Amino acid sequence: MFRNYFKTAWRNIIKNKTYSFINILGLATGMAVAMIVALWIYDEVSANKNFKNYDTIYRLMMNQTFDGVRGSQQALPYPIGEELKNKFPDFKAVAMCDWGQNRSLIYGEKKISKFGHFISEDAVSMFSLNIIDGSKNPLHDPYSIVLTKETANILFGNENPIDKTVKLDNQTDLKVTAVVDKEPKNSSLSFDYLIPFQLQESIYPWIKQHHKTNWGNNSWQTFVQLYPDANPASVKTKISNVVISHLTDENILKHIKPELFIHPMSKWRLHSDFENGKNVGGFIKYVRMFGILGFIVLLIACINFMNLSTARSEKRAKEVGIRKAVGSGRRQLINQFLNESLLMASFAFLLALGMVALALPYFNKLTDKEMSLQVSNPIFWLIMILFTFVTGLLAGSYPAFYLSSFNPVRILKGNLNAGKKSSLPRKILVVIQFACSVILMIGTLIVYQQIQYGKNRPIGYNNKGLITVNWSDDIAKHFEALRQELLSSGAAISLCQSNSSPTEIDSNNDGWEWKGSQPVEKAVLFSTITTTYDYTKTLGIKMLAGRDFSRDFADSNSVILNESAVKRMGLQHPVGEVLKWRDRPMTIIGVIPDIQIESPYRSISPLTIIFDKYWVNNLDIRLNPVMSASKSLALMKPIFDKYNPAYPFEYHFADEEYAKKFNYEELVGNLAAIIAVLAIFISCLGLFGLASFTAEQRVKEIGVRKVLGASVFNLWRLLSKDFLILVLLSCAIAIPVGWYCMNEWLKNYDDKYRTNINVEVFVAVTLVAIVITLLTISFQAIKVAMSNPVKSLRAE
Amino acid sequence: MIKISELEKIYRTEEVETVALNKLSFEVKEGEFVAVMGPSGCGKSTLLNILGMLDDPDAGSFLFNGIEVAHFNERKRADLRKHNIGFVFQSFNLIDELTVFENVELPLIYTGVKAADRKKRVEAVLDKVQIMHRRNHYPQQLSGGQQQRVAVARAVVNNPKLILADEPTGNLDSSNGNEVMQMLTDLNEQGTTIIMVTHSEHDSRYSHRIIRMLDGQTVTENILV
Repeated sequence: MFRNYFKTAWRNIIKNKTYSFINILGLATGMAVAMIVALWIYDEVSANKNFKNYDTIYRLMMNQTFDGVRGSQQALPYPIGEELKNKFPDFKAVAMCDWGQNRSLIYGEKKISKFGHFISEDAVSMFSLNIIDGSKNPLHDPYSIVLTKETANILFGNENPIDKTVKLDNQTDLKVTAVVDKEPKNSSLSFDYLIPFQLQESIYPWIKQHHKTNWGNNSWQTFVQLYPDANPASVKTKISNVVISHLTDENILKHIKPELFIHPMSKWRLHSDFENGKNVGGFIKYVRMFGILGFIVLLIACINFMNLSTARSEKRAKEVGIRKAVGSGRRQLINQFLNESLLMASFAFLLALGMVALALPYFNKLTDKEMSLQVSNPIFWLIMILFTFVTGLLAGSYPAFYLSSFNPVRILKGNLNAGKKSSLPRKILVVIQFACSVILMIGTLIVYQQIQYGKNRPIGYNNKGLITVNWSDDIAKHFEALRQELLSSGAAISLCQSNSSPTEIDSNNDGWEWKGSQPVEKAVLFSTITTTYDYTKTLGIKMLAGRDFSRDFADSNSVILNESAVKRMGLQHPVGEVLKWRDRPMTIIGVIPDIQIESPYRSISPLTIIFDKYWVNNLDIRLNPVMSASKSLALMKPIFDKYNPAYPFEYHFADEEYAKKFNYEELVGNLAAIIAVLAIFISCLGLFGLASFTAEQRVKEIGVRKVLGASVFNLWRLLSKDFLILVLLSCAIAIPVGWYCMNEWLKNYDDKYRTNINVEVFVAVTLVAIVITLLTISFQAIKVAMSNPVKSLRAE
Repeated sequence: MIKISELEKIYRTEEVETVALNKLSFEVKEGEFVAVMGPSGCGKSTLLNILGMLDDPDAGSFLFNGIEVAHFNERKRADLRKHNIGFVFQSFNLIDELTVFENVELPLIYTGVKAADRKKRVEAVLDKVQIMHRRNHYPQQLSGGQQQRVAVARAVVNNPKLILADEPTGNLDSSNGNEVMQMLTDLNEQGTTIIMVTHSEHDSRYSHRIIRMLDGQTVTENILV
C-alpha cells in the first residue's frame, strides 16, 4: 500500500515539475527560516549552560534608591567577597571579579593585547573551567595567570606554556599555571586570560589604601555558588542587609537603602532588565517574538502548500474518484495525500538544510554568534525528522481532508463543483498569508525608522575623526612627551585623557551638594567624567558658558557641568558657584551642552566633569582633519610604539563605537527584514502558482471572451482584479494589527525618544503589496490573455 | 442478488429540483446480464451509482444479497463495494500516473491482498484480456480499446460478484466495442452478474434482459433469452 502511495506521489511530483518546484521551494524557504530562528533561539536559551553549576551559580546584585528611583546594580564594594565567604556558610564559592579589560601580555618577542579579568580563585571550580593542562587551583598564587588555549598558542606556539613567565602590562611577571578551554561566545564569562583578584592590590596600591575596607564604593562584580540544597530565598533574606550594616551615613540609611539579592545564572542573559528593584524580563521578549515570527513564516509556507495543493484538486479529483470506485476508503485516501505531503516536506527539508548551511555563516556574522548545524548529534536529526514530519502533516492536512472528501459520482461524471464556494477557503488562506507578510513589512519599516530616529538625534560633539587608545602606565609616564610628538607630527590636532571613552559613561557618583539642596538630594546620582586639559577641544564641544580646564589656572578643585546638571541643581548663574562633593568644595568654571554619550534613546543624565590626573582609562585623540585617517594612524604608530612599547598600537574610532549603540535595534531590524522578505517571497510563490491555476481553470472563459473581442488589457484586468481585492483585504487586516504591535514595541522607548508611526508607512506598504501582486500575477495573466483562443476552445 | 423497491433520488439546487429516480423497483438475480436503457437524463447513471454504492438513495429500499444497504455510511459502503463490485466506465477512468499493471493491482491493494499473490492475480487477468505485453505502459500510451480492456481487467481482478458497466463501449469504435462486449459476456457466462447502462441497441442484445427507463421509472422490461 505504502509503495503504491509513494509511487503515485513521486510520479505526480515529476509530472508537474513547475508546480512541485514552486511548492517545494516555498516550503523549503519556510522551513529554512524556522530552522535558523530555532537555532538562534537555541543559542540564546542555552547560553551559560556550558557551566556545570548552571543551577547553583548566582550573581550578587544590589538595589539602591537614587532621586526616588529604585535601581538594581551589579557593581558592589570590594570587601563583600571576604565578608560573604567568612560569615555565611551558605555559599559553596564566592568569586569577586572586575569588569574585564584589554591588557598587554608579553612573552619573549611576542606582544599581544587580550581581554581578561581579575577574578577570585573560587571562580575556577565555580565556572567549571576545563583545565587542559596545569594546576587544579591555578589562581591561588597571586602572581599566576590562566590562559585560554587560543591565547597560549599565540604566545607560546608549540612550547609548553606551563610555568613559563608572562609579563603583564610590561610591568608584572606572572607564572602560567593553567591552560583552559575558551568559553563559548554566548557565555556570560568570556575571557582570553584570568589573573588572581588579589593581584590588583599589588599592582594598584590605591586599592589597598582606599577600597580594602570601603563599603561605599561599588566597583566590582560578585558571583556566588550556593550548595545544591540551599534555599535561594532564605539566602537572599540572610544577606540583604550585609552592605547597609557596614554603613553609617544617615543619607544612605534613610534614602539609598542598599539591599543585596541574588540573580540566578539561568536569568542572566534573557531576564536582565530590572525596574523598581524587580526583575522584569529582558531580551526574552525578542526571543519569544522571533519564535512567533519563525512559526508564522513556516505557517505561511504551509498555507502556500495547502493552497497550491487544493488549487490543483481538479487534476487530482479523477484519481480520487477512481480510487474510491475501486474500493478505497476515505481514511486510505487521507493517508495517501498525507504521505504525499510528507514526501514533499522531506524534499523541502533537504533543500532547507542546504539553504541553512549556506546562510549560516552570514547569519552568524549578522547576529555575532557561533551557531552551527549539529550534524553529528543524533538528537538534532531526531528533532529535524520530527520537524519535517510535523510540517508535512501541517501542510498536508487540509489538502488531504479536502481531496478525500470528493464525491466520486460527481467527479467521474466530470462535474466537480468548482464554483465560488470551493475557492473560498483558498481565498481566506491567501488573505491570511498576505496579512502576515504585510504585518512583517510594517514591523521592519518601523524598527528602521526608530533606528534612524536615534541616529538623527544630535549628539552635541563631533565623533568623526576621533579615536580612543587604552591608557597604560607607560603612557602615563610619558604623557607630555607623547602629546608633544603626536601634535608636532601633524597626525593629531588635539588630545586629552579621560576616565571613559567618548561613547560611554563608566562612573556616576552621589554626595553632591549645592546652594539650596536638601539633605536627601545627596542621594542624586551625577554621571562623572574625569579629565585634565583639552577635553572640550578634543571632542569638539562648544562651551555654553565659562571655560574649559586650563593650564593657566589652578583647576584641581574645578568642575564643569552639562545643562542637565545645571537644571537638576536649579542654578541660575552656574559659573562661579561653589558646590560640595563629599565635603570637598568645587567651583563651577564652565557649562557644556547636553552631549549624547550614552543610549540615543534615553534622556541625557546630569553630568559633572572633574579635573583628575590619576583617574584615567583612555586617551582621546582628534585626528588632523586635513590628513587622511590612514595617514594619521601610520604617523602615530611609531610614536606609540616608542612610548607605549608593551602594547600593540590599538585604537577605536568614536563614530564606529557610537554606531554599536544601535546594534540591538539593527539586529532586530535586520532579522525582521530578512523574515519579512522571505515571507513575501513565499507568499509570491503561492500567488504565482495560484494565478497559473486560475488562468488554467478559466482558459475556456478567456477563449470565449477573446472570440467576442476582449483585448489583452481587458483580460489582464479581469484576471488581476480578484487577486488585487484579496491583497487589499489583507492590507486592511494587517494595518491595524501592525499598528498595534509596533505601538507596543515602541513603548520600550522613552516617549520623548521614539519615532511616530506615520500614515506614510501604511500607504507605502499597501503600494508595495499591490505592485508585488501585480508583478507576480501579470506574467500569468498576460500569457493566458495572449494565447490563441482556438486552442483553448478546442481542448473541451 | 439485488432487490430495489420504491427507490427515490432527488437532486436539489437552489432553484431546481430534479427527480432522478421516482419510486423505482426491480430485481436482478445472480448470474443475470441486465442492460439498462433510456434517453439522457432518465436516471440510468443515478441508478448505477446507487447500485454501485457510490451514492445513497433518498428513500426506498436496496437489498444487496439480502442486506439492506440503503442507509449504510460511507465506510461500510466502501467496504462492501471493494469486495463485491467492479466498475467499467465509458471514459475508462484509469489513473494516469500508474502503469497498466499498477492500475489493475489497485483493488487488490485496497482489499489487502499480499504482494506476491497480487502479482499472480494481476498477471493472470492481464493475460486474459490480452494486454500483458503492455503491463508497464501508462494509460496515455494505449489506444482506447486497450485502455478499456485494462479497465475491465481492473474491474474483475478482485473476482467481484457484480460488475457495473456505464456505457462501456461509448468511447470505442465498433470492433473494439465488440471485443469488450464479448469479454463481458464471457465473464457473465462464468457466473458474474452484470448490469450495464447503454445507449446502444446493438450492445443491449448481449444481455438477457433490458430494462427501459424514462423519467426515473421503468417503462418496460424485455426478456431477450
